[in-house]
Amino acid sequence: MYKSIDDINERIRDGSVRVVTAEEMPDIVDELGVSGALREVDVVTTGTFGAMCSSGAFLNFGHSEIPIRMEKMWLNGVEAYAGIAAVDCYIGATQESITKGIEYGGAHVIEDLIAGKAVELRARGKGTDCYPRQSITNEFTLADLNQAIMLNPRNSYQCYNAATNMTNRPIKTYMGYLLPGHRNITYSGAGALSPLPNDPTFSVIGSGTPIFLGGANGTVVGEGTQHSPGAGFGTLMTTGDIKEMSLEYIRAATMTGYGVTMYVGVGVPIPLLNEDIVKHTAVRDEDLVTSIVDYGTQFRDRPVVKKVTYQELKSGSVEIDGEEIKTSPLSSYKKAREVANELKARIENGSFLMASATRPINAVKKNRPMSEHGVVRRVSEMMVATFVTITGEKSVKEAATLLLKANTNHLPVIDAENRLTGIVTTFDISKAFARDEEDRSVSNIMTRNVITAVPDEPVDLAARRLLQHNIGALVVVDPAKKVLGMLNSQDLGDLVGERWHQ
Amino acid sequence: MKLMVTFDREGVQDANIANAILKSGVPVNVERAQIDGDDGWTLLDVADDKAEMFIAALRHPGVEVRIQKDAVSHNITECVDCGLCISICQKQVFSFDDSWQLQVNSERCVLCGRCATYCPQRALSLQK
Repeated sequence: MYKSIDDINERIRDGSVRVVTAEEMPDIVDELGVSGALREVDVVTTGTFGAMCSSGAFLNFGHSEIPIRMEKMWLNGVEAYAGIAAVDCYIGATQESITKGIEYGGAHVIEDLIAGKAVELRARGKGTDCYPRQSITNEFTLADLNQAIMLNPRNSYQCYNAATNMTNRPIKTYMGYLLPGHRNITYSGAGALSPLPNDPTFSVIGSGTPIFLGGANGTVVGEGTQHSPGAGFGTLMTTGDIKEMSLEYIRAATMTGYGVTMYVGVGVPIPLLNEDIVKHTAVRDEDLVTSIVDYGTQFRDRPVVKKVTYQELKSGSVEIDGEEIKTSPLSSYKKAREVANELKARIENGSFLMASATRPINAVKKNRPMSEHGVVRRVSEMMVATFVTITGEKSVKEAATLLLKANTNHLPVIDAENRLTGIVTTFDISKAFARDEEDRSVSNIMTRNVITAVPDEPVDLAARRLLQHNIGALVVVDPAKKVLGMLNSQDLGDLVGERWHQ
Repeated sequence: MKLMVTFDREGVQDANIANAILKSGVPVNVERAQIDGDDGWTLLDVADDKAEMFIAALRHPGVEVRIQKDAVSHNITECVDCGLCISICQKQVFSFDDSWQLQVNSERCVLCGRCATYCPQRALSLQK
């Protein structure tokens, strides 16, 4: 048996359409079988509501008396991209306010517009014969705009990694706060209720597919940026009219220590045209596998800690190394259900019709990492290999003499096997003299917890470590903790200077 | 239950908590404390049936005792029930009910403030 989009739209118009949410579908297929479910159900609605950083809006302001071509623009202090003709901009959700930082950003501007609040516009232009004005300050509301079109480059991930942190310090990520020693796991997405897991072959979702976006009836533009369905990570580019949106389904948010993001509600209807589509919509949380990855690593390819299903993630805990670790979502399952149910209601009441996609979305494509041609500087290239060391039983005076002679502030302390045991700085020595320490041996005054680097790591990582610990140098060591060199902040400063001069 | 004990300049001079434990024989768990020369506060956990006895023993000039109930304030208009707070909190203050709505059990809170800092919607705050 087959159904056409026209058959389904006919039933939507005459009020006989049968719509269920993706949550209800697996049980229906179990009960009626695939062909029975195809006869009984016309449309499956999906929904998701989560942090989708890759979102934003095109705004058109209309022309002012004494026209201006706005080249630089700020909305409530948040810079919007104004390099588009004269009186348009694109405001990105993650752009941060120049005064309020991560507490207010592009997502908040969009939220304020939907709430009906006035937003301050400040813009500059160079002034030309056709656009003589050079600056403008104005206030506007959503109603004043000709267009406010949400265009989100990357929404509604097919699947997303779950996050944990294997290091010994807490980290602040776009996946939330991750406690040290993998004490928590966070994940995103509504699992089997999410749009793309219900159409993994993109047989019905394509350019032009009508969707629910932030409360408005919107459209799929096509594949999203970083679309990688071949790896299970398909994405959608979506658009909708902000004037029809509601704060129930669009919310600005801040991930502390990371930045601004926007919670977006996306719902996609899946018209059941044939048995293959029905089979896909019968997906359950236990069928969907994702990886828990270590966000503690600062490299692109994060190690996979464990593979899990959405059923396990949603259960509230996952076992790692024999320990039950608490999980929490950062997307809202309650809101995802609201999206799927609201979309269902709109189809049932005839205000939302199905349409065939005008262009298909590639269902096998894989995303590529950046092809980098610049040289990545390694610690080994920047470190100083001529350095002095001292042993722990030497006196503070001997340490001071060595530091003066070598014209340095950092003196690694080594044991008889040449292994690093501590570090003495000029500050430690001053402190020892000021406090009149009785035991004036190096081992008594040295810092034992030495911050180190390894030769083959990129200097950018080492530089960040210097900043985080507020120190002037890192000791470069091999795996056996033997000292290979010193990486000084001055040398890194020279490197940065060199970059800017190029 | 949790007791919020605050000390004024006079109250911080003596070993009031230790004395109250000895006097009442009630064991308590010190969950948080911030005390300096001028004043301070501490959050104590005590068995419900022993609380009255302990509070009586703790009554002393310069010491104020209050039962801590609504430590976490949850703004349900701002909250979108994402649940990010659930795994951040190691004291099980937060959970979902059957409909995936966030439930807040303030009585377990030890005032670390992590939930308030990391809530993406700024929907949580602490009341000390």
